Amino acid sequence: MALTTEEVRKIASLARLRFSPDEEAAIAGQLGKIVDYIDQLQRFEAGPAGAAATGAAALPPLSPVPPAPPIAPRAAPEADDLALPCLPRETFLANAPAALDGFLLVPEVKAGHVPVAKPGVDDEPPS
Amino acid sequence: MSRHPDLWGLPAEELARRVRGREVSAAEALESALERTARVEPLIHAYLELFEEAARARARDIDRRVAAGEDPGPLAGVPVALKDNLNLAGHRLTCASRILEGYVAPYTATAVQSLLDAGAVIVGRANMDEFAMGSSCENSAYQKTRNPWDVGTVPGGSSGGPAAAVAAGSAALGFGSDTGGSVRQPAALCGVVGVKPTYGRVSRYGLVAFASSTDQIGPIARGVRDAALATQVIAGPDARDSTCVERPVGDLLATIEDGIAGMRVGVVREIAMALSSPAAPVATAAATSPTELGAAAELDPAGEVAASFRAALAALEQAGAELVPVSIPSLEAAIAVYYVIATSEASANLARFDGVRYGRRSPGAASLAEVYWDSRSEGFGAEVKRRIMLGTFALSSGYYEAYYGKACAVLAQMRDEFTAALGRADVVVTPTTPSAAFRLGEKLADPLAMYLSDTFTTPASLVGLPAVAVPSGFDGQGLPLSLQIMGRPFEEATVFRAARAFERQIGWQVAPRFRGAEVGAA
Repeated sequence: MALTTEEVRKIASLARLRFSPDEEAAIAGQLGKIVDYIDQLQRFEAGPAGAAATGAAALPPLSPVPPAPPIAPRAAPEADDLALPCLPRETFLANAPAALDGFLLVPEVKAGHVPVAKPGVDDEPPS
Repeated sequence: MSRHPDLWGLPAEELARRVRGREVSAAEALESALERTARVEPLIHAYLELFEEAARARARDIDRRVAAGEDPGPLAGVPVALKDNLNLAGHRLTCASRILEGYVAPYTATAVQSLLDAGAVIVGRANMDEFAMGSSCENSAYQKTRNPWDVGTVPGGSSGGPAAAVAAGSAALGFGSDTGGSVRQPAALCGVVGVKPTYGRVSRYGLVAFASSTDQIGPIARGVRDAALATQVIAGPDARDSTCVERPVGDLLATIEDGIAGMRVGVVREIAMALSSPAAPVATAAATSPTELGAAAELDPAGEVAASFRAALAALEQAGAELVPVSIPSLEAAIAVYYVIATSEASANLARFDGVRYGRRSPGAASLAEVYWDSRSEGFGAEVKRRIMLGTFALSSGYYEAYYGKACAVLAQMRDEFTAALGRADVVVTPTTPSAAFRLGEKLADPLAMYLSDTFTTPASLVGLPAVAVPSGFDGQGLPLSLQIMGRPFEEATVFRAARAFERQIGWQVAPRFRGAEVGAA
């Protein structure tokens, strides 16, 4: 599947990444090749029918072995509803690029070019 | 010069025994390791930073405790290399990325704390592919690590730094994270043992997240016994990682020498069928598309991996195992499933690096939007961006069902296939990698070729199985090859028993030759 430069720009915008025109062209080619490879997934049918179709059912029988428990994703246990100490504010802020009076500091939210994008102020790359 | 110049070559288990028994001091062990590091590091560039002074203070502390009659633990005085994505309080951590320049770990990862509690001495933070994304360690923003067997080849990745350090003898143990093979693949390429424990066996608290549904911390060691000991030290429940389960680890060394007489070793038919045809060693007979497994087959054109795998099967049989065929038809889709699921999760996990809370902020950013866009665009390297893009694409409106949804469906099938396979067999084996170490730069221009390095390691990650990579011999160029042994969830003891029996059978020695370097040095 070939990706257009427009599509690359759209994905980049969702990911908050900016690319030069040369990079856009390179990424379109690379992602297209990877997506072509990933498209082999479409051949797979999920479930027992799919497994049979791909040959899983044709193994020679063995003498009985103890049944193995199914391998399944586990549900995460619920944590106790307790307030526990977390990272002290000053320790956390020691890694902040900028902080003031115990808070993270960022430039003005509406400074510079603000595109009139639909969901939020930062959905289009700033000019 | 250390009084005991050869301590660096001892197994971790033996070194700790001597330190605990006051035969040698932790300080002497450390100096031996640092002297070795001074000789080999200029050849392999495994470390981003050595913690020499902190390590010396730590070793002295361990010696004081031993002198006072205390037992510092099963890794007393053992020099350890940490991948640069494991937090150690007060030390820098970058994930080999520019975006984390200047970051200092505010706390210590649970697994690292377990190492400290066991008496280990952390000697440094080792190189990696940026944010653990890569199979050659060439995606580090800082330096390229070399393979100690041949410094013109890659050490594998993403935990290439710890693997190279352990193989070269500058640390007795290394610890990395394995998301799709990032411990096992570099261990294989560097001729050492690498472990991915069962998903849920080791806490990831303090590990910088890549793909949370498969991330797992595992050790790299020069032998299977050390790998088992190290796994045991870091395993166990942790309230700070809810995926980490309450399940006894047991004594992984208790049965490790028991051998594999009568053990059923499952041979994945999709590989074995292909092995009958040396020309196409990892392609299934049923493969229809040349872009699929044909590409993997090109990685082993001479059939050396296939030949090594056949020899490994024979060795397992000689050790008393019963080989049984098992079938994992979805194996051929593992890379596709993995690169959809892992990049999707990565695109979400790496959203936190935005120049606001930690790490590097673009100096020119004049608005909040510019902080996000510029910090990320300047701070992330090409492969990280590529994966964020791929994951964002797979999760985007209009493509979600076709890619992420489909990958999850195939993963469910893969899980069923492994349940069936591990019902027939106690362990399942494959080669660890489709090739030995490749040349630096060889695959940089072709991301997909690089991804295929993970062909055999991604299934255990996706399904959550324990897996051990154990050296299996050499290819025609004298570079190490490796056997992967996978087991049932939480049955690490069985996997280690099989790995140890195999190791004994082939008599592996970690003795890298630093080919291509101007040595004398090593």
